[in-house]
Amino acid sequence: MITLQHYLGLGAVLFAIGLFGTLSKRNVIGILMGVELMLNAANLNLVAFARFVTPLEITGQAFALFTIVIAAAEVAVGLAIAILLFRRRGTVNADDWNLLRW
Amino acid sequence: MSDFTKIAFFMFFGIAFVFGSMLVVRLLSTSKYDPIKSLPYECGMDTIGPTWIQFQNNYFMYALLFLVFDVETVFLFPWAIRFSQLGLMAFIEMVLFVAMLLLALWYAWKEGVLEWS
Amino acid sequence: MALDISALVPELLVIGLGLLLLIIHILQRQPVPANPIGWVAFLAFTAIALFVVWRMPVAEVTWGGTWLVDPLANFFKILFLLAAALVSLASITSLAGQSRFASEYFVLLSMATAAMMCVISAGDLLTLYVGLEFLAITLVVLTALDRGTAASEAGLKYLILNAISSAALLYGFSLLYGMSGSLVLGEIATIIAGGATQAWAGLALPVAIVLVLSGFAFKTSLVPFHMWSIDVYHGAPTPITAFFAIGSKAAGFAVLIRVFMKLFIPWAAAWVPALIVLSILTFTLGNLVAIPQTDIKRFLAYASIGSAGYIIMGMIAATRGGIEAMLFYAMIYVFATFGAFAVATAVQAQTGSTAISALAGLSKRSPFLALTMLLCTLSLAGVPGLAGFIGKFYIFWAVIDQGYAWLALLGIIVSILSVYYFLLLAKVMYVNDPPAESAIIRVMPSMRLALAVSVFATVFFGVYPGPLINLVTQVAARFIS
Repeated sequence: MITLQHYLGLGAVLFAIGLFGTLSKRNVIGILMGVELMLNAANLNLVAFARFVTPLEITGQAFALFTIVIAAAEVAVGLAIAILLFRRRGTVNADDWNLLRW
Repeated sequence: MSDFTKIAFFMFFGIAFVFGSMLVVRLLSTSKYDPIKSLPYECGMDTIGPTWIQFQNNYFMYALLFLVFDVETVFLFPWAIRFSQLGLMAFIEMVLFVAMLLLALWYAWKEGVLEWS
Repeated sequence: MALDISALVPELLVIGLGLLLLIIHILQRQPVPANPIGWVAFLAFTAIALFVVWRMPVAEVTWGGTWLVDPLANFFKILFLLAAALVSLASITSLAGQSRFASEYFVLLSMATAAMMCVISAGDLLTLYVGLEFLAITLVVLTALDRGTAASEAGLKYLILNAISSAALLYGFSLLYGMSGSLVLGEIATIIAGGATQAWAGLALPVAIVLVLSGFAFKTSLVPFHMWSIDVYHGAPTPITAFFAIGSKAAGFAVLIRVFMKLFIPWAAAWVPALIVLSILTFTLGNLVAIPQTDIKRFLAYASIGSAGYIIMGMIAATRGGIEAMLFYAMIYVFATFGAFAVATAVQAQTGSTAISALAGLSKRSPFLALTMLLCTLSLAGVPGLAGFIGKFYIFWAVIDQGYAWLALLGIIVSILSVYYFLLLAKVMYVNDPPAESAIIRVMPSMRLALAVSVFATVFFGVYPGPLINLVTQVAARFIS
């Protein structure tokens, strides 16, 4: 039987993988992919709770739908700025974008 | 055995086949680095000038507009399914939502984003 | 379930303003210069703020509990609209040279204000999350709008770091939803306080509180989560930095008040120590690291982090008095911080530099700017006679009332130390000689009005804080009771 704990465990693992990816990747596209993974982990949580805690309502699924849309918009804006920076600096390596420092 | 077990076997052997053959290639082949071998391929001739293609802005702009209207569609589908039960208020709200996105399209049009230069 | 459009009227007006500016931009042949649009935006924001003031006592819960209109929300909406109005005036100066994207700038400013208003009026987790992301994306685009390299880096940095923190926040929200089965804040509060949760909720609630607190601590730049704000404040255009410091931060505090006081009050003994640690780190680091800074925007960024450390002390005294103190300090902090950033904008528009050395001899080049900067920074420092002193006094009083006298003492000591670096700035302006080839700084009428408003508010509430204290007392009473 697949219980709620399986889904939550998978969600937690995905969140951890996404967080690791975001913090360790140098390529900004990789960082955005890690962010997407974290948001999808939270989505998985929401949908799993909607299925197990309130099977008659789909509030969690509606929330997940909104989150998917917001994540898409956010990544689109992020890619637009990344392209702009790539044109100027010639690299997508986040270490090289260091105009602002302590 | 249950269906999932059969799928698990398929998956395992499929992945094992792919990685196994790659492993065999890695073990059996030699690999010596030569700068000439890593030049970009241009039908056997020498390249003239830099080989990077200029990224065309238009592709990204069209992809961005597609993304925006795709997520609009994501919202339109559930609304359309329950349209008859939702009443006038939901209809007016959806009209406003689509109108705002059409305004964004008009703005993109006027900014010349849709021209393929 | 009431589907009450009249509850949404302020937000609809602000969004309507943004769309109207967009339509005007589309219909015009040439790009519209910043001057008329900025004044139109300023007048519109002020008018909508007066409308919200008129409807201040309204309190209703509409749209199935997802939209709350109460005096707390109205107070913060007035704050956000004033912030947007002042930033519009300051933007006229910074956009004066070019008109390529002036319209889009004000459209996005309206949308960001509407987003902040949605955040404070949100009655359930979905509206709250959508509002926070709406605010974040509009601020990202505003930061990167002029497409300079530093601004684009700042925008991307803000986007990525905000995405991480809002992913954590969303994960916390999903746990809250799982514990209670509902997204509405009021229902979640009843269900998790009533104990009718699943058996595994033993771990879920602490994790949820930690994640939600870290998400809001990012937004309000409390210290371990403040790294983004220094670089983003530095790279963004100066009026947008002001908008970050006064609008986005105030929105973070507003939603922190709403979520923590509504949902997590029964476990205050668990999260108050965490807030104490955050507060001490924030006001200490914010005030002390400001000292070696050579760039006015970084300097003011650290100063605003220090102020945030004081505002969060009101949350430690998680009572009505603490909330009153937070509301009061937030309002006066808006005027003082805006005044300082506006002076930096005016100096940058003339000299092109944001280094503190560009402010040298400002008293000779523009006495008005120097006086404004002096009064605003002394208010942030908490010098008696200006509004910041009353605000800090209020906060420390609320904290002492709850038995944290040692925390208040620490805050007072650091506050006195902070006067040192603000006086260093005053020395640069009044004692140092101006750079060799500098001229009198011309200040546009819009900037004069904005600076006059912030100086007036700072001085007025310093000598006569009565009206504002009455207002925040009433607002907090309606919220907590």
